[in-house]
Amino acid sequence: MNAAVIADSECSASARSLVDDRPRTDLGAIQDGVLMVDAHGVVALVNAAAEELLEISTIATLGRTLGELAAGELLAAVRAELALAAPRRSGAHVVEVHRSVDQALLFVRVRVRPARDASGRIAGSFVSLRDVTAEHKVAERKNRYLSIVAHELRTPLTGIKTFSTMMAKGALGALSTPQASVVGSICEQVLRLEHQIDKLVHLGTLDSDEFAPDLAVFELCELIAQSMRAFEKAATDRGIELRADLCATATPVRADRAQIRRALQALVENSVKFSRDGGHVVVSSTIRDDRSVEITVADDGAGIDPRYHARIFEKFFQVEDPLTRHHGGSGLGLFFVKSIVEAHGSVVRVDSRLGGGSKFSFALRLADDAPSEHTPSGAGGLPG
Amino acid sequence: MERTVLIIEDEKLIIVSTQMVLEAAGFRVESAVNGEEGIQKAKSTRPDLVLLDIMMPGIDGWETLTRLKRDPETSGIPVIVFTAREHARGHQKSTEMGAADYFRKPFEPDELIELVEKHIGQSV
Repeated sequence: MNAAVIADSECSASARSLVDDRPRTDLGAIQDGVLMVDAHGVVALVNAAAEELLEISTIATLGRTLGELAAGELLAAVRAELALAAPRRSGAHVVEVHRSVDQALLFVRVRVRPARDASGRIAGSFVSLRDVTAEHKVAERKNRYLSIVAHELRTPLTGIKTFSTMMAKGALGALSTPQASVVGSICEQVLRLEHQIDKLVHLGTLDSDEFAPDLAVFELCELIAQSMRAFEKAATDRGIELRADLCATATPVRADRAQIRRALQALVENSVKFSRDGGHVVVSSTIRDDRSVEITVADDGAGIDPRYHARIFEKFFQVEDPLTRHHGGSGLGLFFVKSIVEAHGSVVRVDSRLGGGSKFSFALRLADDAPSEHTPSGAGGLPG
Repeated sequence: MERTVLIIEDEKLIIVSTQMVLEAAGFRVESAVNGEEGIQKAKSTRPDLVLLDIMMPGIDGWETLTRLKRDPETSGIPVIVFTAREHARGHQKSTEMGAADYFRKPFEPDELIELVEKHIGQSV
């Protein structure tokens, strides 16, 4: 099917006004399904790939509204997507549908964009359809594999962590100084491994549904205090004062506890790591006028040159040269912090200069104010 | 009065290490290595709280939770779900299914005790 066929014989009159002045594209050769409806919802154009995916025929479709067509689940999903996108006429979602002919499960990305006439006015909508079933299955297999790997690694780690922590506490008897030192090192390395597993899982599931915040109400200040404990020894060993300056009132938030913990730990870990010996790290919480709580992790360490402020949140970016750097790390910590905080509808702020320490902050809405939907925006969209 | 925690978990290592933490904090501990055995022990020992793993052979933790909450004999026992695997919206799901809380392995022993203390005896 060539461009002339599409443009001249398979377009309705209403569509012609939208496409006549545009460069003609060979829609038949496009692998994605393409569908156009005018302002009244009348189908104006449809290509072969769209016919196949939507289980319709061009002859029966052109000049009729989508609502008049009896077809499969995907057409219903397209109608829903058009209705959802109506105010701004754009949007994209992956929908899960069953093909009528054989009930095969398909994952299709439905993207809606405005169609404009020659004068630039919005005169309808373009809908593109891409079968992403294969990609979805690969991602699903990858996520399942990562989840199993995480389980297999975390299970023995749970035993090692529990036993070593109990030994360090003296629950199995008093330890000599060298024994206590060795056990302390085991505890530290277990924590390091735990963080690496978290990062591995996080990186693998970042773009999938697995990463959507698992919202529950919890006491934020309690979590902050718990998150800091893991770094007490590292701080003490270097004479760093690690202090919590938390608000006295209750701070219930509706968020993903495990994700917020990871974000907090990444920030505290960085502050301790980049602090000079004998320095100070303060984690504080403040209730703001807009019924949100702001969490700040501040240190008086090396600081970050402002020209790197935007880049430090990039995946794998590190200010230090990887070959000559003094501090370990994968360059993923701040990337995860940003991903997590943004998934909760907030933003991470950085205030830092070379030699002047660093201050990272983000805010979460208090639970008594939060909407109840189980969506990322349900965690409260915040200005930061 | 001694308070009892029932651990339903297929990994012996996790049972032994978790038991050590709980006993050091003064709890009596019962354990079961799968869901079926766990449900039976919950009925026979009437624990004050259940720690429930998700990934188990036979009936998994979700099904075990469903059965514990459906049975009038065990429905009032608070259940804390603990898991080493990522479950999409696992916290929401477990809360909706009647669990008192949800947390991930590896855990900090102190946090486990805080969580158990928070929910134990709180009939749901």
